[in-house]
Amino acid sequence: MEFYLPIAEMSINPVGFLVLGIVVGTLSGTFGVGGGFLMTPLLILLGIPPAIAVASEANHIVGSSLSGTIGHLRRRAVDIRMGNVLLTGGVLGSIVGILIFNSLKEAGFVDLLVTIAYFFFLTIIGLLMLYESLDSMGLLGHKKRSRFYHHSWVMGLPLKVRFRRSGLYISLIPPYLVGFVVGILSAIMGVGGGFIMIPAMIYILRMPTSVVVGTSLYQIIFITSIVTILHATTNQTVDFVLALILLVGGAIGAQLGVRLSNKLKGPALRVALSILVLSVGIVMGLELILEPDQSITILAGGH
Amino acid sequence: MILSGQSPPEIFVDGEERDIKIRPNIAGTEVVLLGATPAGQREIIIEVVGPKRNITLQEKRRFLGLWLGLGKINYNNVPSYYNILSSKPLNEISDQETFNKLGLGLENLPLGKAEIINSDLKQRIFDKRLRTEMQNKGQFLENESSIAVRSGPGKVGLFSTEFFLPSNSLQGKYFVRYFTFRDGNFISYTENTIDLKQAGFSRVVWLTANNFPLIYGLLAVILSGLVGWLVSIIFRQLKIS
Repeated sequence: MEFYLPIAEMSINPVGFLVLGIVVGTLSGTFGVGGGFLMTPLLILLGIPPAIAVASEANHIVGSSLSGTIGHLRRRAVDIRMGNVLLTGGVLGSIVGILIFNSLKEAGFVDLLVTIAYFFFLTIIGLLMLYESLDSMGLLGHKKRSRFYHHSWVMGLPLKVRFRRSGLYISLIPPYLVGFVVGILSAIMGVGGGFIMIPAMIYILRMPTSVVVGTSLYQIIFITSIVTILHATTNQTVDFVLALILLVGGAIGAQLGVRLSNKLKGPALRVALSILVLSVGIVMGLELILEPDQSITILAGGH
Repeated sequence: MILSGQSPPEIFVDGEERDIKIRPNIAGTEVVLLGATPAGQREIIIEVVGPKRNITLQEKRRFLGLWLGLGKINYNNVPSYYNILSSKPLNEISDQETFNKLGLGLENLPLGKAEIINSDLKQRIFDKRLRTEMQNKGQFLENESSIAVRSGPGKVGLFSTEFFLPSNSLQGKYFVRYFTFRDGNFISYTENTIDLKQAGFSRVVWLTANNFPLIYGLLAVILSGLVGWLVSIIFRQLKIS
């Protein structure tokens, strides 16, 4: 069976992409991340042109993060005020990100940027996660977990506001900056940014882990909506047929993942996720290092 | 149509433009080409050239130890489909020189002027790669000896062949060019067109995305959100989460 993607202008096997949605959805349900950082590179590896993969994945995350947020709202695990602050920074960041994306697209460097951004972030975050999870399992020989550094600079900043659900009284500036940076990355990498946002919330903003995932998902709905509309109006690269196929697969997978995560132990889970993140990063990196079979290839068009 | 017993003009094909609709959820469509020539030693070559499209090539080069797609080559008028069909192997029908004069064959297919950004290579190198890539993707095809010629009633020779247009074929006009040869010499030429239309949904989506991008973007967001919301309702009903 073949299915035609109207914007990517190519025929795909919908079963394969549905399975991809389920697999990534399972992982994201298990690990509490959106899954965009895995989905976009996999779409590119499967032959979807990078510009379309980035824009359609943003469209996919709108639905998956909304679905996730509803679940977290029921459990009162969303700090809406914090979400709105992150969001304000994120909106500006995503506009800046689209501007960067488009100027590089004109210069013909967009695919390069996407690949390098993935390689860089996946490798660094994978390594940090691996270190942290091994450390918390006591495998690195540290007696005490050095997870929380003393962020005197965060505490010393002005414009302090109370975030009741997170139980924090901190300056608006750090969450605003975190939102801004993640917004840029969302636009360039076609991700919700959960895999960067969640560590930043825990380690920089020191939010309680119980509200981190819900709050991250809440603001991701808005950021990815804006990113989708910006890509649609400036590049015409959003393929919503692709997004919907992934969404249906992802929804099934997310539910499987939640069940799976209840059966697995926390630190072991994080080690598994970090290895996964690292390997995607390494695959992207190898593409940059290994000599290609053919130095001249079709980049866009020609199906 | 052709009267029996009467010799037809040098080549006769249906001159009408044909409309073909293609649906996205099927593999594609088989197109049959029919025609008539005078009976006797006629060889036939048919070229099908699809609508033009943009294609970008990238040239990867080593830079600071990394393989980066630095060179960009933009083609604006590459046929999206090319198929050459013949009644015998091409080299048995005529020689390369004759084909070159007629502009016949994959080697002679014009690809248009390319805009070469950030590369020192000549366009013919990229043209060659583009032809090979398009052949690998099955969009440039050579089907020698795929035309069947039969003697019809009287002095008529009938020929027929068919080719396959996959469902992702670009919509627009497909030019069909018919050449007849006898004893290695070019005899006659005629052409007709096939108008391929993507049916229904895909076409509407593409047009909306390109003509009303803001509306399309908003709809894409709303649809995705709606499906996400539905999913959460369904799973709540099922008490799974």
